[in-house]
Amino acid sequence: MNPLSDPQLQHTFTGVFRLVAPEIALVGTACVVFLFGSAFNRRWIWFTVSLLGVIAAMVLAGTVRTPMPEVLTAAPIVPDAAANFLRWVALISAAVLLFLTWPEATRGHAAEYYGSLLVAVAGVSLTGRANDLVSLFLALELISIPTYILLYLPSRSRPSQEAAAKYFLLSVLSSAVLLFGFSYLYGLTGSTNLSVITDALTKANAEALSPMALVGIVLVVAGIGFKITAVPFHFYAPDVYEGGPAGVVAMLAVLPKVAGFAALARLLGLVGADARHLPFDTATQLPLLLWILAILTMTVGNVLALLQDNVRRMLAYSGVAHGGYMLMGVVVACSLPEAAGTVIKLEGAPKVIGPTVGGIDALLVYLVAYALMTFGAFAVILYLSTPAREVGAIDDLAGLGKTHPISAGAMTVFLLSLIGLPLTAGFAGKLLLFIGTFTAPADTAAMRNLYRLLAVVAAVNSAVGAYYYLRVVGVMYLRTALTPIVGSRAVPTLMASVALAGATVFFGIYPQPLLTAARRAAPVPELPVPAVADAK
Amino acid sequence: MDKIYEIVAAPRTGRTLVLLVVLFPFLAALFVSLFGKRGRRVALLLALVHLGLAVSVAAIASMHLGTRDELSAGRGTDHAKFEPAMVPGARVGDDGRTAWTLMSLTATPPSAGRAGPFVQFFVGVDGLNLWLVALTSFMVVPAILVSWESVTERRGAFYAWLFVLQGAAVGAFLSFDVILFYVFFELTLVPAFFLIGRWGPGSARRDAARKFFLYTLAGSLLTLVGVVGVVVTNPDPTTGQITFSLPDLMANVQHWLNAAQAEAAAGKPEKLAALHQTQLWLFVALMAGFMVKTPIFPFHTWLPSAYGEAPIGVTVLLSAVLAKLGTFGILRFVLTLTPDAAVAYGLPVVGTLAAFGIVYAALCAYAQKDMKQMAAYSSVSHLGFVVLAVFAFNTEGVAGSVLHMVNHGLSTGAVFALLAFLADRYRTTSMTQYGGLMGRFPNFAVLAFVLCLASVGLPGLNNFVSEMLMLGGLFRADAPKNHHYALAGIAAFSIFLSSWYIMTMLQRVFFSPPKEPPADAPGAAPPGDVNSRELIAFGSLAALCLVLGVYPQPVLDTMRADVRIVTRIGDDARVRVYGEPKPTKVLVAAEPNNGKQDR
Repeated sequence: MNPLSDPQLQHTFTGVFRLVAPEIALVGTACVVFLFGSAFNRRWIWFTVSLLGVIAAMVLAGTVRTPMPEVLTAAPIVPDAAANFLRWVALISAAVLLFLTWPEATRGHAAEYYGSLLVAVAGVSLTGRANDLVSLFLALELISIPTYILLYLPSRSRPSQEAAAKYFLLSVLSSAVLLFGFSYLYGLTGSTNLSVITDALTKANAEALSPMALVGIVLVVAGIGFKITAVPFHFYAPDVYEGGPAGVVAMLAVLPKVAGFAALARLLGLVGADARHLPFDTATQLPLLLWILAILTMTVGNVLALLQDNVRRMLAYSGVAHGGYMLMGVVVACSLPEAAGTVIKLEGAPKVIGPTVGGIDALLVYLVAYALMTFGAFAVILYLSTPAREVGAIDDLAGLGKTHPISAGAMTVFLLSLIGLPLTAGFAGKLLLFIGTFTAPADTAAMRNLYRLLAVVAAVNSAVGAYYYLRVVGVMYLRTALTPIVGSRAVPTLMASVALAGATVFFGIYPQPLLTAARRAAPVPELPVPAVADAK
Repeated sequence: MDKIYEIVAAPRTGRTLVLLVVLFPFLAALFVSLFGKRGRRVALLLALVHLGLAVSVAAIASMHLGTRDELSAGRGTDHAKFEPAMVPGARVGDDGRTAWTLMSLTATPPSAGRAGPFVQFFVGVDGLNLWLVALTSFMVVPAILVSWESVTERRGAFYAWLFVLQGAAVGAFLSFDVILFYVFFELTLVPAFFLIGRWGPGSARRDAARKFFLYTLAGSLLTLVGVVGVVVTNPDPTTGQITFSLPDLMANVQHWLNAAQAEAAAGKPEKLAALHQTQLWLFVALMAGFMVKTPIFPFHTWLPSAYGEAPIGVTVLLSAVLAKLGTFGILRFVLTLTPDAAVAYGLPVVGTLAAFGIVYAALCAYAQKDMKQMAAYSSVSHLGFVVLAVFAFNTEGVAGSVLHMVNHGLSTGAVFALLAFLADRYRTTSMTQYGGLMGRFPNFAVLAFVLCLASVGLPGLNNFVSEMLMLGGLFRADAPKNHHYALAGIAAFSIFLSSWYIMTMLQRVFFSPPKEPPADAPGAAPPGDVNSRELIAFGSLAALCLVLGVYPQPVLDTMRADVRIVTRIGDDARVRVYGEPKPTKVLVAAEPNNGKQDR
């Protein structure tokens, strides 16, 4: 029989469009904006159209029912819980970014600006639900290509041209490395479908260690490392953040990181499939590789951020450091197959109480917290910048507490959240990551106490990080300006920053809604009852 | 008594009052920030309202806590655990646990009465925190009174941050959830940073504020790691769930330690050794934050600059209340969560550092020219004493240290408040500028004498009682080695040292030939003696010092049961670490049949 006449397979392929309806709405809106933007390039028209597009996508995301594809091994798209979580993160980010970038989407290129933004957001959302190497790669490129346009759009100055060129070249390089890694995975398993790859590698891994799979995954981690600004793939970040337009940088600091971590979690088999069975060696190599990457990333990021006098460069390195914190979540998730859990007997049947935090759930909470505070910090910078005077040096913010109390207050909230002080979303994320590293098994032969050491290193790093964040707070409130900042008076940007500050504090005081959503997206894997317990 | 308690305090009233005591300062901060120039009157009024709330909580709670039987304290369960009263959000019939969950790490709701992985808004009153909360509430009044004239810029914001600081401190004292405690503990940093950095009188205020913030944060982040470590490594033995609630957590800690000890007794000591190893690391991590906050030598270097650069009203609060967060944290969390390490390494390691710090800081205090710096170093010296007594881990030591936290808060706060008198009039607190003030300000001199002598520990004044108790605890510390006698000797010597530098200061400033700094504006009227505002501030402090010096028994009565809970843990830990039970006696409340029932 022709396999293509299998009705289940046909359903799987035809059902794809249902699964990506909101993304289609976003890209469709972007097409409309691009097409008619050449005729009427008014900011308010395209702002409204884009906002309507995002709202339409949200309505579709909320209403269209998405059943799981019948043949998972053929489905290029999976609508699982993690995918839905990331879709909502992407859509809400899109709405925030539309408001945030108001002063930047100026008359000459408002349509291109908003169109590119929508396409990039669609890319993030698709990354979350890609179940095939091809769709995953396309989704990632869907983020990168609009970013090149966005970086080039207002590039009138040399630094911003340098930023655009640097980002373009390194991004293309990382895509190539990623593709090279993908080719290994395809070659080993004969399929581009992630479900197939994960299953095949897990089976192979159970028998013997596969060095080829390891080469493949190292290349993949390197390729994705660019997106999540992991050291040593972070070199573009400070220059691009300094030279690029603030609104684009806000997007660049968050969206690729969300997509990168989503892709990493999918490729490592940490979401969707049974998290107890990982396609790669979890006893030593993979957690150790990511462990080293996490520690390098957070330490290098923090130490280099200490040296910066430019607030954007500082935020760039701080973004690197936060990438390191988030990698902790992935490390923890990788350790779970080794987790033992406590066997208890309640009312007869033995039950295993596994770890309290699975790693990926903590990562998702941290990603949202990071998005809130990073968007917020750049919103404040964007609000205070005018074409005549860009906010660059930290000293430009002097006396902000007096001249712009609302902006200064919001910025303080974001900085305290970046420090990880209680009552901010950053604290909730950090607390979960710490709990995660402590729930990781401490008695495995290879890693021993390394997971706990990771928590200590992260704590020390947070203390180091506090130094440079606090410096900005000090400049804003404890110093007076020589030439006070005027500010752009862009009301939508101010609204965005106030709303983000409110959300940061809200999720700091009451993180439960966010946590519940994250845990529904990435449930902590249940541990099987060991045979020994049955015997007892 | 019970009947009165039932009538006066229906459980609901008490819970509401406790909730108000935590939340009122934050509301007050919002309210007072609306006022500009007139902020100080509003602030004073709000502080008095809060004092009223705290006093009513103290009255209701002490009626209840005083009736608890010390010997049955914590014995309703297998393990000693704190029994907070008047818990807001408590379920019906389960007074000691709240239902207000801020963050839950499990999808399944808890079965009734069982702890689970929830971060909860779990605040309550027990004998250990009650008087510290009252102190926090009370000290804001003199803090506002001494800032009356000196704070002129953005008064509304100043008092708003002062209230936030108060609220955070009260919250930290009242918390029975380990994460909630940490939240309040770190929340104190933000108001302190702004208060020092924006309203400090000196030019080095920004550096002092930053140093204070970063030092404390660095330490407390390690404390967070330690707290998480304790929580995760001590799941509930029956449900396997972790818990953030301090009473449950301390019971879990004891369960696992006792289980390991039972194995050790059966000839398998590996597990106990491994647990002791873990305890050591957790102890180090937990202590990191508290050692900085207290501070214990060599982590004290932030303190002189922070106290020196802060506006004097803030210094009053920092020294009276915030420094106690460190010692209170040791008592509440380190002793109960890592008892074995606290027994094994508390006095020998931390105690040695503290003892060195006592002498070092006392000598530094003697060498200071500036009275503010002298008081700052004297605070380091006194708190080292408290740390020693806490780690003695016995009834006198713990009771004495809790009492001394209150007493030291009153007397050190009072010394800084006294300096505000001089700073308001002459803008300097340098000792060399003053002389013969006895004749110049006779009323001030009398008040200063009473408060300084209280700080020294003159019999009849408050510090004497608690210092004697702490010394008793140190001399009786049940360790097989005798180094605690040396530590006790150093602590006793520190009382002499403190009288040495305080008396020298009094002699120079009040009795040497008359000398005063030049007035601000030439031709202005010479500054007068204590005015009514200052009289209220200093007088109330002096009166409290006297009352607590003459009749401290009510305070000791309320904490008796809770001190017993702590010492029960200590006794068990000593058995595990040293292997031999030593007889102890309860001295604080000598009742005839103590010796028999007590271990």
